[in-house]
Amino acid sequence: MSKTVRLLTFSLGQLLAGRRLIIIALLVALPLVVPAVFANGADVEPATFTLELFRQLVLPVLLPVVALTFATSSLGSELRDGTVTNLLLKPIPRPAVLGAKYLAAVASSLVVLLPAETVGHVVAAGGLGSTDLLTAMLLATVVGTLAYCALGLLLSLLMARALLVGLAYALLWEGAVVSVAPSAASLSIRGYTEGVLAAALRGGGLGLETRLGPVSATVLAAVVTLAALVLAVRRLERMDIP
Amino acid sequence: MTAQAPADQTAAQGAVVELRRFSKWYGDVVAVADLSFELRPGVTGLLGPNGAGKTTTLKAICGLLHPSQGEVLLFGRPISRDPMLYRAIGVVPDGDRLYPRLTVRSYVRLHAELQGLTDAGAAADRAIAEVDMGPLADRRLKGLSKGERQRTKVAGAIVHQPALLILDEPLTGMDPGQRARFIELIRIIGAAGVTVLVSSHILGEVERLASQILVLVSGRLAASGDYHAIRDLMADQPRTVMVKADDARRLAAGLIALPSTVAVEVDGDALRARTRSVDSFATALPRLARDQGASLHEVRTTDESLEQVFRYLVGRR
Repeated sequence: MSKTVRLLTFSLGQLLAGRRLIIIALLVALPLVVPAVFANGADVEPATFTLELFRQLVLPVLLPVVALTFATSSLGSELRDGTVTNLLLKPIPRPAVLGAKYLAAVASSLVVLLPAETVGHVVAAGGLGSTDLLTAMLLATVVGTLAYCALGLLLSLLMARALLVGLAYALLWEGAVVSVAPSAASLSIRGYTEGVLAAALRGGGLGLETRLGPVSATVLAAVVTLAALVLAVRRLERMDIP
Repeated sequence: MTAQAPADQTAAQGAVVELRRFSKWYGDVVAVADLSFELRPGVTGLLGPNGAGKTTTLKAICGLLHPSQGEVLLFGRPISRDPMLYRAIGVVPDGDRLYPRLTVRSYVRLHAELQGLTDAGAAADRAIAEVDMGPLADRRLKGLSKGERQRTKVAGAIVHQPALLILDEPLTGMDPGQRARFIELIRIIGAAGVTVLVSSHILGEVERLASQILVLVSGRLAASGDYHAIRDLMADQPRTVMVKADDARRLAAGLIALPSTVAVEVDGDALRARTRSVDSFATALPRLARDQGASLHEVRTTDESLEQVFRYLVGRR
């Protein structure tokens, strides 16, 4: 096993250790599965219900909260308690350390989000339901997770209250500001994620009105993710480790 | 322990560590100023009072801090540009910095794996045995004493048999028996050709660990070289000893008669004596107390006293 892969598996173990995984998984699964149970017995179109739940709950709240929580604690908590020196004082280039921490945060977030979304979808549909919808939601979740984790990792290298600032961005900027100033969607990960969702759903009978087109959303998501990672690498290489 | 030096480095060539006019400041606060020295194989002590800049210097050598000015070279190269140099470096940093859920064995093995050792398990077991932690190898770190945790950190630092070992206040939390064994281990490592740099603010610790010392005071190099020569320089300066006794006033009268005593102040049941020789003071004091029928409750040199000696060394330069 290479040093970087070992660092990745160790970081995953740190993020998902103990009861943390169970608690976060329950906090995410309950608001998705419980409404789905009630929707299943009600006079509601399952696909419409699942899509709305995804747009109103997963994209604005669960996805950013989970991804930012894992991303800011992946490296940030080790910087604060000093344990990061165990990893940095090793023959592993710092970009590789950051890459391993990033992938660990992404994987941890997806381990929590993807099963919960899938179970909620299946329960609401009373079966497999629309696979196009499920695929689109999972794809959008992956794109959003990649972007939020990159942002969270960068913030954790820049400030002590990275999670607070990240949540303020997700809930205030993306929630409030974008709703009154639609042009701000170009600086919104949620906007990119919705654009990717709409692109993936195109032709599936569930067309969505989004502020960003599919190409713009995908390109912007990639640019923001890569820019955040590049800045994080530069920061980690140049910062003094306490 | 056999040191693993970089392929192009031998003990006969150049310094293992070289600081060239290294300075580090944070805003207006200067932590270390214009520090230059070289380290070669063997044990060197980095001595200085708290806040002297020891940890800053060690962190700069490890590559955790970037110099504000000057250069820090390891094996002739800046470590910030060559992370592979960490193959040859073992570090015991200040503070706890351990993962509480891991066991001793899994923690040391993690270090071995991140160093890329092929037989990480065997290397971990050997390092654990070297620091006498074998019987506790399967205990979780959160349940260990401070001294045991400190020894675990040392095992992690030596698991890959580094050519350069850096230890920041490694004896903190160890009991006298553990200290003695640890000091012996460091001496063995140094004798095997490893370059060891150990920091401490306690003169007696450094005396037992290292023959060469660097004395840092207020971020500047106050003295460097052979321990005994520097200790003799320090001995020229009066030290303050605080004594609590039944009859401090009568004891003071006896102490002032000693040739090495510079001054004595009495305050209730305590006295503060300034002496040119702590050793002769320590020899004479019990005899005086016995002759006068006085009971001694506390005898100690004051921290300010050591600080004054360090400052004296700075002033001499």
